Amino acid sequence: MSALHHLSVTEAGALLAARKLSPVELVDAVLARIDAVDSKIHSYITVNADGARKQAKAAESEIMAGRWRGPLHGIPFAPKDNYFTAGIRTTGASRLMLEHVPTETATCIQKLEAGGAILVGKLNCWEYGTGGGGFFVYDDLPFPLARNPWNTERYTGGSSTGAGASVPAGTALFALGSDTGGSVRLPASACGLQGLKATYGLISRAGCLPNCWSLDVNGALTWTVEDNAIVTQAMAGYDPKDPASAQVEVADLRKELHAGVRGMTIGVVRDLGLDASIIEPSQTRAFEEMIKVLASSGAVIREIALPAPLASYQQVVGTINASESLSIHETDFMQRSHLMGRSLREKMMTGFSVRAVDYLAALRLRSVLAKSTDAMIRGCDAVIMPGAFHVAPRFTDHDLVGRFSTENSTGIFNLSGHPAMSICTGFDADGMPLNAQIVGRYFDEATVLRVAQAYESATSWRARRPTL
Amino acid sequence: MSKPPAITAAEIEIIARRHGLTSFAPEHMARLAELAEKVAETGRALPRLPSKSDEPAHVFRVPQK
Repeated sequence: MSALHHLSVTEAGALLAARKLSPVELVDAVLARIDAVDSKIHSYITVNADGARKQAKAAESEIMAGRWRGPLHGIPFAPKDNYFTAGIRTTGASRLMLEHVPTETATCIQKLEAGGAILVGKLNCWEYGTGGGGFFVYDDLPFPLARNPWNTERYTGGSSTGAGASVPAGTALFALGSDTGGSVRLPASACGLQGLKATYGLISRAGCLPNCWSLDVNGALTWTVEDNAIVTQAMAGYDPKDPASAQVEVADLRKELHAGVRGMTIGVVRDLGLDASIIEPSQTRAFEEMIKVLASSGAVIREIALPAPLASYQQVVGTINASESLSIHETDFMQRSHLMGRSLREKMMTGFSVRAVDYLAALRLRSVLAKSTDAMIRGCDAVIMPGAFHVAPRFTDHDLVGRFSTENSTGIFNLSGHPAMSICTGFDADGMPLNAQIVGRYFDEATVLRVAQAYESATSWRARRPTL
Repeated sequence: MSKPPAITAAEIEIIARRHGLTSFAPEHMARLAELAEKVAETGRALPRLPSKSDEPAHVFRVPQK
């Protein structure tokens, strides 16, 4: 058996349900792991050791009394520090919120805790969960930079930096991030995780610090695909406190998870309307291998093309993101911008400069692009494409650190709202994780996960863990 | 359409102050001018849709129930 801190959610949940493992043992193992390695990776801003131990004892009593709540009962997890947690400091990694202790808890966390999951702390991130890779270049925030557990001299991807670092390192069994343009999927890709951005509106954002109302989606970063299905299932569902919440029936995400891809039509997007040499060769090779794996598993592979070049999506997402972000944080910007890190301040400056007519042009174009993108996806059961084009760069490579956040395909599906998952497709010659993106129809997370599961089951990438 | 002249630091300072941004450090004001020019280029690059009835995604709707 793996070390307790390296158990997957699925494995730990089975042991807890069978009473072969106590939640107290598991939480203690994760807290010990935090003590042992977090000074190297800085995945946490705040550790909730006493609260987690108290919850673990309560979970142990419940399980021993026969009141097992489900597959998350007793599982230690941590959210990005832009999810509000009543009574536990929520900083947004910003000097503007250093002492902020919320009185409410985000709906997502309430749901996970209702299922028995145990919050062990709050994870590092970019300031306010926003900005760009510049944060890693300027290093001007109140907390140390999160570091990639596969190589601590390398970047984690952002903005959910601690979420990316924590799960491979074993400082949490699963993590929550938030994704406006790729902030779940990019750290997942950099750190070798499976990260799902669900359909816009499937998961409540109530009780989270907003970044961009019309693009934000909360999501989980997990070690395995099945773990992600479990966590996403627990968080999904209508919430009247979130105005964008969708009133749809939530599918059973594990029912056909292991049913395979035989007979499925999987669209492959190789041409993103850009110079293909931008994509690192190791990523391209791994993507081509992924296609072969899915084909040999019985999928019908069909070459398809985006309805517009990637740059068109990025212009729209960038304009909407900066405008809405300034609207959210205008008072902070006008009165206390000197407390902001450079990356956030410059995003606010960008929003300050957008004309209303350009913002509306972006919104109008968004509708058109979303519709044509949906038509492309509807022609298949699922679609795969390169996700992050680069392997996690070294911190000293400032140019590549910046480009990691812009040279990727993730924002397409924040614009369109489709579910999209980053999946680990192996490792490069330096042992750094590679990735691809799997996309599905609206509210069809089940098929995205099923394709991801088929690939994960056919490969051995989950057998490898970083050494710290 | 030919490219319009770039906005100057002095012009952006007037706009910024008019909109309440009065405590900005000079180096931040200079950066704001640079970014404003990039934003303007992006705005010009966004295509305008031909139909006046193409409404944005967040059109206002009254509650249905």
